[in-house]
Amino acid sequence: MQTNTTPAISPRGHITDYLWRFTRGAGIIVLTYVAFYVLYGYLQPRALEPYAIAAQMNNTAPLALAAAGQTLVVLSRGFDLSLAGVISICNVVLAVMPLEGPGGALVSVLLCLLIGASVGAVNGWLVGYLRMQSIAATLATMIICQGIALVILKAPGGYVAEWITYEMTDRLWSIIPISGLVVAAVVGAWLLIRRTNFGVSIYAIGADESAASLSGINVRRVRFFTFVCAGMLYGLAGFMLSAQTATGNPTSGTPLLLLSFAAVALGGTSLAGGRGGLFATVMGAATLTLLQKVLFSSGVSSFYTGLFQGLVLIAAVVFSGFVARIGDKK
Amino acid sequence: MLTKTFQTLAAVAIGAASFAATSASAADGEKFKVYLSLSYSGNAWQSSAANIVKALAATPPYNETVELIEVITGTDPQAQISAYESMIDAGADGIVSFPISSTALNRTIKRGCEEGVLFFMYDATVTESCAYNVSYLSSGFGENSAQALVNELDGQGKIFLSRGVPGNSVDQRHTDGAMHIFNQYPGIEIVAEYYSYWDDRTTQQETAKALTAHPDVDGIWAQAGEYGAIQALLDAGDRLVPMTGENSAGFRRALADPDMQAKGLKGVSAGSPPAQSGYAFKIMMEILTKQRELAPMNIEYPLPWVPADAVSICTGDTYEDGCNVFPESKVPTSFVSEVLNPVLLPEVNVESALNGTPVEGATIQPLPADIQEAGNEPGINCNRCEAPADLYKLTKVEATVQP
Amino acid sequence: MIDSDNAKTVESSFAQSGDGRASARVSRETISTVTVAILCVVMLLGARFISPSLGSWSQVETVLVLGSFLVVLSFGQGLVILTGGLDLSLPALITLGGILATNWIGVYDTGAWYLLPVALLICAGVGLISAIGIVWLKVPPFIMTLAMSIIVSSILLGYTKGTPRGASPDAALALMKGSVFGQPAVISFVILFVIIGWLFQSRSAIGRYLYAVGMNVDAARVAGVPVVLVQTLPYVISAVCAGLVGIMLVGYSNGATLRMGESYLLPSIAAVVIGGSSILGGSGSFLGTVGGAILLTTLGTIISAIGLEFGLRTIIEGTIVLVALLLLREEFFQKLGSLWR
Repeated sequence: MQTNTTPAISPRGHITDYLWRFTRGAGIIVLTYVAFYVLYGYLQPRALEPYAIAAQMNNTAPLALAAAGQTLVVLSRGFDLSLAGVISICNVVLAVMPLEGPGGALVSVLLCLLIGASVGAVNGWLVGYLRMQSIAATLATMIICQGIALVILKAPGGYVAEWITYEMTDRLWSIIPISGLVVAAVVGAWLLIRRTNFGVSIYAIGADESAASLSGINVRRVRFFTFVCAGMLYGLAGFMLSAQTATGNPTSGTPLLLLSFAAVALGGTSLAGGRGGLFATVMGAATLTLLQKVLFSSGVSSFYTGLFQGLVLIAAVVFSGFVARIGDKK
Repeated sequence: MLTKTFQTLAAVAIGAASFAATSASAADGEKFKVYLSLSYSGNAWQSSAANIVKALAATPPYNETVELIEVITGTDPQAQISAYESMIDAGADGIVSFPISSTALNRTIKRGCEEGVLFFMYDATVTESCAYNVSYLSSGFGENSAQALVNELDGQGKIFLSRGVPGNSVDQRHTDGAMHIFNQYPGIEIVAEYYSYWDDRTTQQETAKALTAHPDVDGIWAQAGEYGAIQALLDAGDRLVPMTGENSAGFRRALADPDMQAKGLKGVSAGSPPAQSGYAFKIMMEILTKQRELAPMNIEYPLPWVPADAVSICTGDTYEDGCNVFPESKVPTSFVSEVLNPVLLPEVNVESALNGTPVEGATIQPLPADIQEAGNEPGINCNRCEAPADLYKLTKVEATVQP
Repeated sequence: MIDSDNAKTVESSFAQSGDGRASARVSRETISTVTVAILCVVMLLGARFISPSLGSWSQVETVLVLGSFLVVLSFGQGLVILTGGLDLSLPALITLGGILATNWIGVYDTGAWYLLPVALLICAGVGLISAIGIVWLKVPPFIMTLAMSIIVSSILLGYTKGTPRGASPDAALALMKGSVFGQPAVISFVILFVIIGWLFQSRSAIGRYLYAVGMNVDAARVAGVPVVLVQTLPYVISAVCAGLVGIMLVGYSNGATLRMGESYLLPSIAAVVIGGSSILGGSGSFLGTVGGAILLTTLGTIISAIGLEFGLRTIIEGTIVLVALLLLREEFFQKLGSLWR
C-alpha cells in the first residue's frame, strides 16, 4: 500500500532533523502514553503507587515482547501468525514441567527461547528458502503449534515454578519492576542490533526486496534469521506470560495475536514493511494495556466500551499519520 | 474470536460527564460498591446470567444499598486480571464474576481478599481458597447425563460427543465424568467427538460434518449448543435420536413436541444454570449486610434435571406449577431455561432475564438458611487437593442397564 | 514482494512466449483450480479409509452447503486482498447481517421483500465507512477494519442488550432449507454466485482495474484508472458479502447470535491464500479462492471423522494445510506451466 520508502537511518545533524526523526520514531506514541498515564493517575490516584506501576508493567510485558517479535517480521514485510502457537507451547511446557530456583528459571527461559527459535526456523525456511507467503506459512505453523500445545496440556492447569512467578513479577528495591527490565533489555539489544548489517538489512528488505538483493544482501538468510529472532521473542513473551498467570493454558497465546498487530500499527510501524521500530511497538503495546485501565476508571457503560476502543484506535493512527505527514513536508 | 479478543483494547474518549458521575457515586459512602465482571457477553447464557444480577440489584431494598457496575473483559485472562486490579483499586466491596481461568486469576484475587474484597465466582470456578465458588460443576452433569443416554440406548450404540471449548477445564470435567460412564459399557461406541464451543450454530455444523461419516448414529451426548444437533439431524434426514443436552428453550420445547418425539427424540435436559449468578449475588449481599456469616467455601448449585416427560410449557412470566420452559412467542430457541429458580430467586421473571429489569412490586427475599457445600474438584475449585473417592457417583439417575 | 514479483515473472515469462497477459492468467487460474480440485477428490477418496460413509455424494453435498458460507465470504475478502488490503471486519459484519435479518422479524412482516436488501445496504454503509478511513484518511486497512469490527460488535451488543431475538426471514429459510432440482437450493445459488463473481473479477473492466491498482497504485493512476473508486469498491462488496453470509447463516440455523461470525476470519484469508492469491495484492483469481474454500471445508469434514484426540487432529490439519500450500506455490505452477507448453 505505502510506496514511500524513507531511508532506514536518517542522517544526524540539525535540530530539525532531530525533530523529524522524533516524529517518525517513537515520539508520538510516547507522548500518547504519557498523556494517558496522566489521565489515569488523575482518575485513579492509586495508579502512581509502585505496586500499580509494576502490575501494569507485568500486564504489558507479554504483549510488548510478542509485538516486538512481530515488529521484526513486519519490518521485513511479512506477517507472523505463529506467535499465538509459540506462546501457548512455552506456557504449557512451563506449567507441566516446573523447574524451581534460579537455575530452573534459567533453564526454563532457555527452553522457551529454543522453542521459539525452532518454530521461527521452520517459518524462516518456509518463507525465506521455499518462498512461501509469510501469512500462509505461519498460518499453517500456528495451527500445528496450537495442536502441539493441546497435546502437551489438554485443559488449563499445572503450576509454573514459584521462583519464576514471584521473582519475574516482583520489584527491584521495591521500585523497579523486573518485567520492565526484561522489556528494556530487549529494546536495548534491538538498538544495538539495529546498527549492525543484519539490522540494516531487515529494513532494506522490507523497503525494497529486489533492490536489497541487488545491493548484495542475502535476502534468504536475513529473512530466516528475522523469523528466528522473532520466534525467540515470542518464547520470551510466553515465559513472561507464564510468570504472570502462574498456570498453563493451551490457548493462552491466541488473545495476543491480533493485539500484537494493533500494537505494531499503533507504534507507527508500516504494515507494508521497511518503516518503524521496535521501541515504538513496545510503547504501542503499553498504550493498549493502559487504555484498558483508563477506560475502566472513566466508567463508561461496558456494552459500549468497544465503540470507544475502536474510535481511539482510528484516531490515534490518523493523528500519528497526520503528524508524520507534517514531518514529511519539512 | 476477533471482536472478543479486542474487548481487551481500551479507549479514553470519555466526556467529563461520565467522569463527574463516577466521582459523585464514589463520594456517596452509603452504598456497597459491587462489580459484575463478565469474561464476555454476547451469548444468551452470559447475558441472561448478567441480567439476573442487574435485575436483583435494581430490586428493593438493593436498589438503595448497592451500586452495581458491569465490566466485560473478553476471553483473555490477562484482561480480567487487569480488570480485577482496577476494581480493587477503585475500592470494591465485592466482585461477582464469571472467571475466564480457574488458576490465572488467583494471585490478584488473593491480593483483593487481603484488602477485604469479597469474591464470588459463578458457574466457572477458581482454585484460590479465599474466593467463594458458586457452581453446579461438582453436581455431576457429565456422569448423570451420560448414564441417562446409556439407559435410553440400552447400553448399545454409536454415539457422538458434542463437547465445549478445547482446552477448557469445565469441558474437561464434564467429559471426564461422561467417559467414566461410557467406558463401563463396551457396547457404547464413540464414533465422533467434536468441539462445538457451546454454540448452536457451531454444534449444527460440526454435527453435520460428523453425520457425513456416520449417518447411522444412535445417540448424541451434548453440552450446550444441543439445539444445533437437532437441526443438523433434521437437515440430514427425518430421523432424530436419543440425546442429552443442556437447557436451551429450543431443546426443551423439542423434547415436549410430539412431532419430534415421533421422529425418535428422547432424552434429558440438564446442565449449566445461569441462575447461579443471582444465587451468588444474593449470598454475597447477605454477607455484606451482615445477615449471614460464611467463610469462603465452595457452594454447590443443584444440577437442573428435566427428562423429556417432565417438560412443561409455561403460560406466565415465571416458573409456576412445575412448568420449566417458555413458549416460542416469549423467548428465542437459544434462551437458557434454567435462568429462573422459584426457590432461590423468587424476585425475578423472564423479562428480568431478557432485559435486566426488576419485577414491579417485588422485594428481595431471604435465601434458605442451608447452603450445600461442594465436593473437591482438584484443579477446578481447589488447589493441590484430593478428590473424593465417589467423585463420579450418580445423583440424578440410576443405571437401568448393566455393562 | 516475493510473490507479486514472482507473479510478474511468471506473467512476463508467459508474455515472452507470445501469450497475452489475460491468457497467461487464465492458464494459471486453470492450473491452480485443477490442482485444488484434484486435491479435493484425492482427499474425498482417501477419506473412505477413515469411514466407509465418507466419499459419498452426501458428503459432497454437506461440503458444498457448509462451504457456501466461506465461498461467499472469501469473494469479498479476495477482492480486498487483490487491491493490497485486508478485511478484518468480516466477523462483525456477518453478525450485523444476521442480527438485522432476524431482529425486525416479529416487528415487521416475515415475508417483507425489502428487509434483506435494507440489511445488506446497511452492511454496505459500514464497508463504505471502512473504505473512507482507508482511502481518504490513510488509516492502514488492518487497523481500520479491526477498529470497525470492534465498533460494530460493540454497537450490536448494546443494541441487542446481549440477547438477539426474532427468527429467520422466509427468504433466508428458502435459500438454505429449500431445494432446487432435488438438491439443496443453496448449491445452485453458490454456483451462480461463483459464475458472477468470476465474471466480475476476471472478465469485467472493473476487475482489470482492481488488478492494476493491486499491482501498482501509481502506475494505475497514471494509466487513468479511477483509483479512489477502485480502492473503495472492494470494502463495500466485502461488507455486503459478509452481510449475505450472516443472512445465510440465519437461514441455516434459524436465528442469530452475537458470536456467529467469529470463526470465519482466518478461514476467509486462508481460502484466498490457498487459492493462489498474493496477500500483498495484484494477483490471484476467484476460482482459485473457491477451490481454497472447498478444500478447507472438505478437510474439516474429514478431520472431524478421525478418531484422534483434538490436539493431534489439529496438528494433522495444519500439516495438510502446509502441504497444500507447498503444492500450490507459484514456483510449482511455473514448473507445471513450462511442462504444459
